[in-house]
Amino acid sequence: MSDQACALGVDAGVQEDLACTLLSKHFGEFAAVDGVSFSIPRGAFFSILGPSGCGKTTLLRMLAGFQQPDSGDILIKGKSVLNTPPNKRPVNMVFQHLALFPTMSVAENIAYGLKRKGIPKREHATLIDEVLAKVHLPGFGDKRIDQLSGGQKQRVAIARCLVLNPAVLLLDEPLGALDLKLREQMKIELKRLQREFNTTFVYITHDQSEALVMSDQVAVMNKGRFEQVGTPQELYYQPKTAFVAGFVGDSNQYAGKVQSQSGDLVTLVTEQGVRLLSHANQPLVAGSPITLFVRPEVMQISTSRPATEQDNCLAVTVSRVLFDGAQSRVQVETAEGAELTVALPQTADFQALEAGRSVHVSWQASQCLCFPAPADTKPPGAP
Amino acid sequence: MKFLRQFKVLTLVTAVTATFSMSAQAETLRLLTWGGYAPQDVVEQFEKETGIEVKITLSNNEDMISKLRATRGAGFDLAQPSQDRIVSAHADFNIYKPMDLSKIDTAKIIPSMLAATKKNTEFEGEVYGVPHVWGTSGLIVNREAAGTVKDYTDLCDDSLSGSVSYRLKRPTLIGFAFALGEDPFAAYGDTEKYQAILNKVEEKLVSCKSNVKAYWSGGDALLNLMRSGEVSAAMAWDAGGWKLNSENPDITFVAPASGALGWIDTFVLPRKTKAEDAAYKWINFVMQPEVAARITESAGNFTASKGSDDFVNDTLKAQFKQSFPEADLDNINWYPPVPAGLEVMEGKVLDRVKAAN
Amino acid sequence: MSDASGNFNRTQYRLGFWLLLAPIVLWLSLLIILPHIDMVLVSLRERIASRQYGFSFGNYTAFFTEPLYWNTFVRTAVMSIVATVLTLIIAFPVSFYIAKVLTGRPRIALFILCLLPFWVSELVRTYGWMILLRETGLISGALQWFGLADQPVEMLYNDVAIMVGLIYTSMLFMVVPLVTTLDSLDNSLIEAGYDLGGSSWNVMRSIVIPHAMPGIMSGCIVVFMLTLGNYLTPTLLGGKSSLWFTEQIYTQFITRFNWEQGAAFGILLLILSSLIVWLGLKITRQSFTRVMS
Repeated sequence: MSDQACALGVDAGVQEDLACTLLSKHFGEFAAVDGVSFSIPRGAFFSILGPSGCGKTTLLRMLAGFQQPDSGDILIKGKSVLNTPPNKRPVNMVFQHLALFPTMSVAENIAYGLKRKGIPKREHATLIDEVLAKVHLPGFGDKRIDQLSGGQKQRVAIARCLVLNPAVLLLDEPLGALDLKLREQMKIELKRLQREFNTTFVYITHDQSEALVMSDQVAVMNKGRFEQVGTPQELYYQPKTAFVAGFVGDSNQYAGKVQSQSGDLVTLVTEQGVRLLSHANQPLVAGSPITLFVRPEVMQISTSRPATEQDNCLAVTVSRVLFDGAQSRVQVETAEGAELTVALPQTADFQALEAGRSVHVSWQASQCLCFPAPADTKPPGAP
Repeated sequence: MKFLRQFKVLTLVTAVTATFSMSAQAETLRLLTWGGYAPQDVVEQFEKETGIEVKITLSNNEDMISKLRATRGAGFDLAQPSQDRIVSAHADFNIYKPMDLSKIDTAKIIPSMLAATKKNTEFEGEVYGVPHVWGTSGLIVNREAAGTVKDYTDLCDDSLSGSVSYRLKRPTLIGFAFALGEDPFAAYGDTEKYQAILNKVEEKLVSCKSNVKAYWSGGDALLNLMRSGEVSAAMAWDAGGWKLNSENPDITFVAPASGALGWIDTFVLPRKTKAEDAAYKWINFVMQPEVAARITESAGNFTASKGSDDFVNDTLKAQFKQSFPEADLDNINWYPPVPAGLEVMEGKVLDRVKAAN
Repeated sequence: MSDASGNFNRTQYRLGFWLLLAPIVLWLSLLIILPHIDMVLVSLRERIASRQYGFSFGNYTAFFTEPLYWNTFVRTAVMSIVATVLTLIIAFPVSFYIAKVLTGRPRIALFILCLLPFWVSELVRTYGWMILLRETGLISGALQWFGLADQPVEMLYNDVAIMVGLIYTSMLFMVVPLVTTLDSLDNSLIEAGYDLGGSSWNVMRSIVIPHAMPGIMSGCIVVFMLTLGNYLTPTLLGGKSSLWFTEQIYTQFITRFNWEQGAAFGILLLILSSLIVWLGLKITRQSFTRVMS
């Protein structure tokens, strides 16, 4: 990705379209954004992922200029924009509810920004036609906003910004209002548009799937801070904190205590008394509380005890089958009462699986992770 | 439960019957009159003596006619228009009922006034009005600031620019006509001649407009303008002038050289009066000299009650004497009945005066 | 059996529908339609002699042939339009401030402040202005006290005083619809306006005003109608030359006993004011249903 950015960077001196240093914003006692620093390479699709109230919207509004940071700096193409009002910043924003002007037609919506930019009127028609073609809405210029479907509005909102060639395009959860199918399509569409226009996108969302599918880089944000910045794969497979492990992707989470540690391998006992082996990327003190994360898809389910030696193998009873096509799962319970959710392969072996059956689940220690349990709060989704 | 419902129904029925019988028993007199003509103490004494409740609605000539016209003479039991405005209104709108003079203690009424009113309110052989309060309209002058004002036309003097007020109503037209040397009353029967007089008056009033501060419409508004000194000479009723005179000796009522305009407010019965007897009782009650004097105190004007002057306080008598030396008293121009149709002609003139610049 | 009960239900439903409709139909016909029909009939009469009337269009021709009446109407309409526009100009920033800038307590406080004058009757309000503006009044006194005037200043009895009174009286009727429509304007639309490079003026002109247009028009219609039909304010605050059409109607009805002419004027006022409102909607390309909803 950064290679591509380098190749396209005309101004070799500045590699980043957008950079922030120690950005903070407080509302009274509450720190909405707390010392956030990051930089986004040119032409990247950068997502900020976090639960609602984590400060991502405040961060985005500071980038757009609607809010002033208490401290820190925002650099766009290497220049501080702290003193630039929103209408002069080389960034544009796609709003959560799109904010298309309902009193104007599609073409007028797009022309609004062109006029403000001082582009001569005779060029408007060509530019509008071009951008509408790029978002796959050719000939939609004369339509009224209320004649458009949700997906079409989405495209117009993006076209309205991209026609201005902004240095950075900010997107504030624009897919939230769409139904599931359309959202899936728009994810791909957005990614395509971003590549085609080669504009830096900063996308905020609370939906990890959106962030993972589209982004080159994702920052996971919690309580005003970035927990981890990395590629989707890094976040998924190598989460650095318990929060990231819990927030990105689905996981079975268990509270437990460390029994012993040898290198990366930790032996632990869950609250229910199940003894398990896990991978850990930091030294842990014996007896200290930890949280264990096991993804449903790493666990193997088998009707008999697996032939090969597994680090963890549990005899369990099926309590519920959650059929969802390829995403089907099964909830099982150990004799000690610990519940697990396991991915259910859609093979003939398991079609007859029903509640009450005894099965085995097993997984390798390297496929699960444990983190010291936070002293005060539990990670999201923890039982 | 059932008992409770029966009880409720019973109570309701009783309450309704009670209300009806109450309203049937307590007689009320709905009086349409001018401010001051039915003072509180007089009403209270009347209610005490007769048991009849009096409901008062304050009004003026035009309003009385309009109200009675709208209901075709219903809604009130006794009204008090000026004697010159009765016959034409009745001819057009059929709103009054003839008076039964036998039910009125005519001995208590000054004979000359009674005779004049009888003559002026006669329609198709029936008499419709008896006199009650009389007075004049003329000039209220602040002698300090506008001592030169002796007649209506003096209001147009250059020295009084912006400090004059009068009403845009027919008395102003009549007053100016007299002051301009015409006799509008004599021309009542001759539309063409009357129009000529009106044209002359219109011209004068238009040229006089720069002197006018505001055309007053409510008596109290005018008194305030005089009190504050914003207006130093105005055309108005005598009673208002005397009231101001008691507060500020510089201000008083002046009978104009061309003659004050005399009016008599009467009693008439609306056509659909519901309390005729009560109405006659009220007339006879207020005509008692002692009661009439109290009305004079309240309204500021004298009544047609014989001998009531003896009960009136000396201040008012002195003010009256000062405003009306013997000669001026004889000089009063009493309003004759207005023939139907004149008011439309006058209205157009008044509109044009208002619209003029 | 089931068919019969279905029929019964339908009759019952229909009966309920008419019963629900009855009050509004009665109200409309008894209080609005019938009086207006009567007005039309009265306006087409002419007095021939006492208690005798004939059919005539004379009352209507009088309006057009007598320049006085026509001028009075034009003057009233022009003054009303000016008052409406001025009210809009004053009310718009106030409404914007209430709807978009203030929140919580100050917002309610300012709104109530706009409402406060309406807790007293129009007559009292108008007398209040008279006390302020008259020659011996508060403002004149203050000007003299500060040495800005060396003699009493008369500010009453002129068209400016009427205008002040009318605007003051109409303010709320403009602020309420404006606040309502501005409130419904999504803040993100304003932000988007800035974000796409617009200045405050651009945002106001291209986004806020087009959005508020139905509110602006409904406020303008209400204020225009109220002003046109106002009687007290022009009569009490107006000067010796101030003519107002409703005053003319009142005069015809009450002091001239000329109900026929008054009724004709009333009908003409209704028609002409509707015409002006229609024109206003046409010019601003708003539809009446949209404005009134």
